[in-house]
Amino acid sequence: MLLALRNIQKRFGGVVALRRGDLEVQAGEVHLLLGENGAGKSTLMKVVAGMIGRDGGEMLWQGRPADFRSPKEAAANGIAMVHQESLLAPHLTVAENIFLGREERLPMGWVRRRRMAEQAARLIAEHGFPLDAGWRVERLSPAGKQLVEICRAIQHGSSLLIFDEPTSSLSESESQAVFRIVGALRERKMGVIYITHRLQELRSVGDRVTILRDGETVHTGPLAGLGTDRIIQHMVGREVTAIYRREPLTPGAELMRVRGLSRRPLVKDISFTLRAGEIVGLAGLVGAGRTELCDTLFGIHPPDGGTVEVEGRAIRVKSPREAVAAGIALIPEDRQKNGLAKALPVGYNMTMASLDSLSRFGFLRHGAERQRAGEFIARLRIRVDSPRQLAGRLSGGNQQKVVISKWLARGARVFLFDEPTRGIDVGAKVEVFEVMDQLARSGAAILMVSSELPELLQVADRILVMRHGRITADIPGRTTQEEIMRHAALDDGNLKGEVIQE
Amino acid sequence: MIQRLLPFLTLIALFVALSIASPHFLTNTNLSSVVRQTAVINIMALGMTLIIIAGGIDLSVGAILAFGGLMGTMAMERGYPIPAGIFIGAFAGMLWGVVNGFLATRLNINPFIVTLGTMGIARGLTLIVSNGLPVHQIPQRFSFLGEGNLLGVPFVLWIVMACALAVHVILEHTRLGRYAYAIGSNPDAAYYAGIPVTFHTTAVYAIGGLLTGLAGMVEASRLMTGQPTAGQGYELQAIAAVVIGGGSLRGGEGSVIGTLIGAFIMGLLSNGSDLLGISPYLQQAIIGAVIILVVWVDELRRRKMSR
Repeated sequence: MLLALRNIQKRFGGVVALRRGDLEVQAGEVHLLLGENGAGKSTLMKVVAGMIGRDGGEMLWQGRPADFRSPKEAAANGIAMVHQESLLAPHLTVAENIFLGREERLPMGWVRRRRMAEQAARLIAEHGFPLDAGWRVERLSPAGKQLVEICRAIQHGSSLLIFDEPTSSLSESESQAVFRIVGALRERKMGVIYITHRLQELRSVGDRVTILRDGETVHTGPLAGLGTDRIIQHMVGREVTAIYRREPLTPGAELMRVRGLSRRPLVKDISFTLRAGEIVGLAGLVGAGRTELCDTLFGIHPPDGGTVEVEGRAIRVKSPREAVAAGIALIPEDRQKNGLAKALPVGYNMTMASLDSLSRFGFLRHGAERQRAGEFIARLRIRVDSPRQLAGRLSGGNQQKVVISKWLARGARVFLFDEPTRGIDVGAKVEVFEVMDQLARSGAAILMVSSELPELLQVADRILVMRHGRITADIPGRTTQEEIMRHAALDDGNLKGEVIQE
Repeated sequence: MIQRLLPFLTLIALFVALSIASPHFLTNTNLSSVVRQTAVINIMALGMTLIIIAGGIDLSVGAILAFGGLMGTMAMERGYPIPAGIFIGAFAGMLWGVVNGFLATRLNINPFIVTLGTMGIARGLTLIVSNGLPVHQIPQRFSFLGEGNLLGVPFVLWIVMACALAVHVILEHTRLGRYAYAIGSNPDAAYYAGIPVTFHTTAVYAIGGLLTGLAGMVEASRLMTGQPTAGQGYELQAIAAVVIGGGSLRGGEGSVIGTLIGAFIMGLLSNGSDLLGISPYLQQAIIGAVIILVVWVDELRRRKMSR
């Protein structure tokens, strides 16, 4: 037994994060750790990696009781963690980041830069990553940064590696590369703990599985023979169907027409139309320009050329203000950064974009504002105690609904959903889809970016595929992942272009 | 919750402690002198509250105070009526606020640097215009602004209350105030929501400048001179008042009542030091230490909240 955790407990102030965390990992196995957001997965792993202390329970490391007081101590004992969020120094090079905190030093603190660069280059070549040891990390896309994190962890010669959602920002081909690495680590008799949200990737990597719910280990056992429905049931604690089926509508009038839209370097000559009642999926690899297209339509990066019409009227969008005025709404990829004021009440967030209609001579009409917030809380079934609750305290799914309400309150007609289900629980995903369906039924047009092809296939009426900033396919109706990937896939040998973000 | 009440409890504790420590504290003369001394910082701090809530900071308020005070008193020296002088002083302050807002938003320079720069520029201009000499030829009745009484209460207290009410209404009942919270809490989200961030940020700095200019006139009235070197170090006190009152230098948090309490805590600290014979040089050091302490406590609270 490599690692055994028994009855681990952890509370933060009054909040119990872990009630009873049990986990056993053998050498040479890939152990999946599953659970909804807030189930305690990351907390449990932080305890193992020495990032936080535990309040109770027992931890055995290679058969001996262990209590790591810092990540450094855990690392010295052979435990390394690949983080979900990038914890890299952006101004340093790939090599410098790989060796950050454990630089090879001569006496007097002299750092052996060239030697580290060589070792990093060897490590990168060994695993066939599309990276260069000399690149500065700030130039890398999220996917590229993730690869550096992985290098950092495996460089250290650890015997247990913890992956915290390593593929959440990776494209399909990069995810495959990560799975290959995980497989290679298993061959070398290392233990791997792998946290993930993406159920469909489980089968290709895992040996055994442990499921957490509300801070408790509710299931542990081999992955073979455990159906996806059973897994979800353990995670959610009730029966939920992961499969969402949407009744397609007959599309109505044309709401948005885009012709020849360009914005260097990632949006090139884009043309498409959106109709009322239509949900159009936008597929493509990371770095294909999907988010950039949404940002251009919304005025965050004004276009270099091309035309956009909304409801037949040509609009020129130079900032989000003009986009909002034209009835366009963006539900951004990074909800926390661009969509929510987390320290403000839910109600403030909901009415943030529509205060013009909720005020008279610059004075707020509090009654009308409260009423509107209450209306959307009921309509979207947002779970809050009151509109005064701070938005940062809500779960991912409810936060997403608050962002959506902001645009409903404004009366937007064209919705750009950029990765609407990222970081959202299985159960809440379906609710987000239902809200999108409601929107479509009430006559809105929706463009939905998603890296999760099964989701797009479930929700979208029509799928646009982007590659290298261009739309390469417009696939109506039912299609398959293979068909989409055929249009999205990169030409071989061009993977380096994928990792760099200008 | 205890954190929210902390400033208020501190104020009461300070009040009780000083009542016990010095027999001269609980007297009419002393208390009204505390009110008068605090008024200038109070008015500035109310403007600073808006600015800090909107995620900004203004280091130039001390210099703006001197500039406004000088402009107003020079106008009166040239024969303008007293109300016109007060208006000119406040308006001059507002112009500096507009400059600060413009530089911070349009040119996208960090407000810390912008106002550090305008602090120097405003102070320099004040000294150039005045030749470094104070303005003395001021109508006698102008002293009413800083030293007069109305209904048995120092007149400045009425001014402070009126400003407090105005800022409270702006924050809680106007679109501008709501936008200030939104911009301060998450400028990106505010921009993505289509809020005219540039305009409203500039407006917030302008109101801050206006109040600072008004504070400059109160200061001039109390000294009965237009002093080009007035207000040095006041920015520290104004920022301290806001932060002690629960304002967060990360933006999105702060309140009028908190700032009033913060300003009175500062006032009592300085009055108490005077009564107890503590050196004014040491007082400066104490204020600096208090700012660091309060921000540190706020940081601890935040860390606890976000786990």
